[in-house]
Amino acid sequence: MAQRILVVDDDTALAEMVGIVLRADGFEPVLCPDGAKALAAFRAAKPDLVLLDLMLPGSDGIEVCRQIRGESGVPIIMLTAKSDTADVVNGLESGADDYIVKPFDPKELVARIRTRLRPTQAVSGQRLRIGDLTVDAAGHEVLRGEQPIQLTPLEFDLLHTLASKPHQVFTREMLLEQVWGYRYKADTRLVNVHVQRLRAKVEVDPENPRIVTTVRGVGYRAGAAV
Amino acid sequence: MPAVVARPSPTVRMLQLRRSAAAPARLWRRSLRLRTVVITVVLSAVALAAVGGVISYSIARGLFTDRLNQELTVSARATVAAQSVLNGATSTDQTALENLQLAAIQQVHDAATPSGIAWLRSPGQVDPLALPVATSPDGADQVVTEQIRQAVESSGTQQYQSVALTATNGQLHPGVVVGDVLQLGGTQYELYLIYDLQDVQSTLDFVQRTLLIGGLVLLLLIGAVTTAVVTMVITPLKQAAKVSEELAAGRLEQRIPERGEDVVATLARSFNRMADGLQRQITQLANLSRVQQRFVSDVSHELRTPLTTIRLASDVLYDARDRVDAPTARSAELLRDQVQRFEALLADLLEISRMDAQAADVAGEPTNLVDLVRESIESLDGLARDTGTPVELVAPGGHVEIEVDPRRIARIVRNLLANAIEHGEARPVVVTVDSSERAVGIGVRDHGAGMPAADAERVFDRFWRADPSRQRRIGGTGLGLAISLEDALLHRGTLEVWSRTGDGTNFVLTLPRGPLDSAAPGPVPLVPADARSQTRDEAPVAVPERAGVGS
Ligand SMILES: Nc1ncnc2c1ncn2[C@@H]1O[C@H](COP(=O)(O)OP(=O)(O)OP(=O)(O)O)[C@@H](O)[C@H]1O
Ligand SMILES: [Mg+2]
Repeated sequence: MAQRILVVDDDTALAEMVGIVLRADGFEPVLCPDGAKALAAFRAAKPDLVLLDLMLPGSDGIEVCRQIRGESGVPIIMLTAKSDTADVVNGLESGADDYIVKPFDPKELVARIRTRLRPTQAVSGQRLRIGDLTVDAAGHEVLRGEQPIQLTPLEFDLLHTLASKPHQVFTREMLLEQVWGYRYKADTRLVNVHVQRLRAKVEVDPENPRIVTTVRGVGYRAGAAV
Repeated sequence: MPAVVARPSPTVRMLQLRRSAAAPARLWRRSLRLRTVVITVVLSAVALAAVGGVISYSIARGLFTDRLNQELTVSARATVAAQSVLNGATSTDQTALENLQLAAIQQVHDAATPSGIAWLRSPGQVDPLALPVATSPDGADQVVTEQIRQAVESSGTQQYQSVALTATNGQLHPGVVVGDVLQLGGTQYELYLIYDLQDVQSTLDFVQRTLLIGGLVLLLLIGAVTTAVVTMVITPLKQAAKVSEELAAGRLEQRIPERGEDVVATLARSFNRMADGLQRQITQLANLSRVQQRFVSDVSHELRTPLTTIRLASDVLYDARDRVDAPTARSAELLRDQVQRFEALLADLLEISRMDAQAADVAGEPTNLVDLVRESIESLDGLARDTGTPVELVAPGGHVEIEVDPRRIARIVRNLLANAIEHGEARPVVVTVDSSERAVGIGVRDHGAGMPAADAERVFDRFWRADPSRQRRIGGTGLGLAISLEDALLHRGTLEVWSRTGDGTNFVLTLPRGPLDSAAPGPVPLVPADARSQTRDEAPVAVPERAGVGS
C-alpha cells in the first residue's frame, strides 16, 4: 500500500506540484492548504509523514507542528524559505524531525522522505541496555523497568544508534549520516536539538544526563561519561 | 634546617624597579591636574624666591646702612670729644697723660656705645712721652686690620670696615670697625671703635624667616587654589570624555549634565546636541538596515516558494523528455538549466544583500581547514573529471582547528576551485593549505591562461566577468568572487589574487587563527614559487581593497 503523505502548504501551486512529484515516486499525497485545518486533516488522513510549510499564515507552521507532535510521533519534515533564522531551530524544537530549504531538488525531497520512512535497521532482535533503559529494537519500544517511554521514530533511531555501540563516541556528522541520511556536511543544529528532546524524555534529570552524554568537542555517546 | 628564601630573580627585580619608576611617569603623563598643579607651584616658587631674595637683600642693605651711618656719626662725635680732652693737655707727665687718656676714653664712652675700643699709636712716632696702647676689652684690637689702619693713617680721616666679631659665647657676629685719628702734641694716635651689629642681623633673620614662612604659606595656597580651579575646569572635561567613550561604545542615550551659562555649559550643550544628532542618524540607519533586512527576508520567502514550484515542474518535464518530441524535449532541457541558473543567481543576490545589510552572521565552529578543503575538492570531483583537470592538495600545515564558519569558507574554496578548473585549461590545479603561528592560508593555483593586470584588479567586482560571452560549464554570474571576498572579510581575513597572462592565476585566502590575530602576513605566498623564479617582466599583483558598494 502506498504511504500517505500530508502536505500542508498555503501555496496551492507548490502543494500541487509537490503532490505530483510524490505521486510519481509512488506516494499517496494528501493536500491541506490551510494551517488552521491541518490538525483535522492530519486526524482524517492518518499520514505516514507530514510535509509542513514553516511560514503558514494564520496558525503558523510551528504551532501546527506542536499540535501534531502532541498527538503522534509521525515524522515531520519542514519546508522553509530561510535556513539561517531562529525559525528553523524553533521548528525543530517544536518537534520537526528534519527540514528542507526552498527551492529544493525533487530528488532531494524524496530522499529525505524515504530516510524518514525507512524502518529502524533492527538487524538483531536482541534487546539493548543503556543505563537503566532497555531498547527493544524489534518491538520498537524503550522501557525504563516495566514502564514504556514514548519516543518518536526519529528519537528511537537516535537512541538505538547510540545504544548499538555503547562505547563509541558519535560525532554530530556521524549521527547526521546514520540517523538523518545526510552524506555531506549538514546542519548540526539538527543533532543538538534532537538530543535535547531525547534527553527530556529519557533522562531522569535532563540537566545532568546519564543516558546520552556529551563528549566535549567531539559529540555524544551512550551511557555515563568516562 | 636551611631556610628557603624566595628572592626575586634579578630580572624580576629590575622589572619591579622599572615598574615602580614607570608608575609616577605614567601618572604625570595621564593626569592633567597633577601636571598643571606641579608646574604652577614650581613656577610660583621660582618667582617667590626671586621676589623674596630681592626684598630681603634690600632690607638687609637698608638696615645695615642706617646703622652704619648712625655709628659713624656717633663715632665722629666721640672722636671730637676725645680730641677736645686731649687738646686741654697741660702736663707731659706720664701719669697725667694716662689720666688724660682715661678721661678721653670716658668721653668716648659717654658719646658712643662701642663694644670695643682700641687706642693705638700710629707707627713711626718717636715721642717718648707717648700714650700707651689701650684696648678694652683685651684683644679688641685683633679685629683692627692692617688695611683699615693704613687707610686711617694715610687719610687722617674717619674710615670703617666690616668685620666678623667673635662673641663671648664663641659665635661670630657681624660688626664694623670705625677708625679715626687723634693728635696729642706732635704725636698721632688712632682710635678704633668696634660695634657689634648682631641686633641688626637678628632683625634681618627675623624678617627673612617671616618672608620664608609667608612664601611657603603662599605657595601652599597657590597649590590649593590651582588644584581647585583645575578640578573645576577638568571635571566637566572628564565627564565629556567619559560620555564620549560611552557613546563610542554604543550607549547612545548618554548625555553630559548641563549646568550654568558658562563656556563649560556651552560645551556640554553643544556636545549633547551633537550626541542627539548622532543618535538620530544612527537610529535612522539602524532602522533602514532593519527595513532592508526585512525586505531581503520577505523577498527571499516570496521568491523562493514560486521558484520551488517552477523548479519541481521543470524537473518533472525534464524527466519526461524522452517521451515527447525533440523541440519540446529541448525546451524542457533549456527550462531546467535556466531555472537552475536563476536559482543560483537568486541565492547569490540574497546572500550579497544580506551582507550589505550586515545581516550575515558567522556561525563559527572549530574547523580543520585541510579536511574542509579536501571535502570541497571532492564535491567538485565531477567538474574536474568532466574537464580532465587534475586537482592536487598540498598541505604542509593547517592541520589545526580554527574557529570559522565552515559553510562560508567551503563556499569560498569551492568558488575558487570552480574558477580554477573552469579557467585552468585542463592543466593541474594545486590547492595549498598552510599555517603560521597567527594565520592559516589557502592557495588555489591554476596554470591556465591567467589574466592581464587590469582584469585581475576587477575580479572581485560584482557581476564582472572577463569574457561574458564565453561558454561556461557552470554558473557564471560574476558574483562568486564578490561573495567570497565578503565572506573572507567577515572572518577578518583577506582574499588576494595574483595572475599573469600565460602563467595562470593564484588566489590566496588568509584567515587569522585567533580572535586577536590578524591575517597578515599569511603563510601561503601570493606570488607562486614557480612564477617567482622566472625573471620575466614584473608580476602584476593585485591586492584588492574591499570591493563593491556599501563598504
Ligand atoms: N582562476 C581564474 N583564471 C582566470 N580568470 C578567472 C579566474 N577566476 C576568476 N576569473 C575571472 O573572474 C571573473 C569573476 O569570477 P567570479 O567567480 O566572481 O564569477 P563567475 O565565476 O563568473 O561566476 P559565479 O562564480 O558567480 O558562478 C570570472 O568570470 C573570470 O573571468
Ligand atoms: Mg566563480
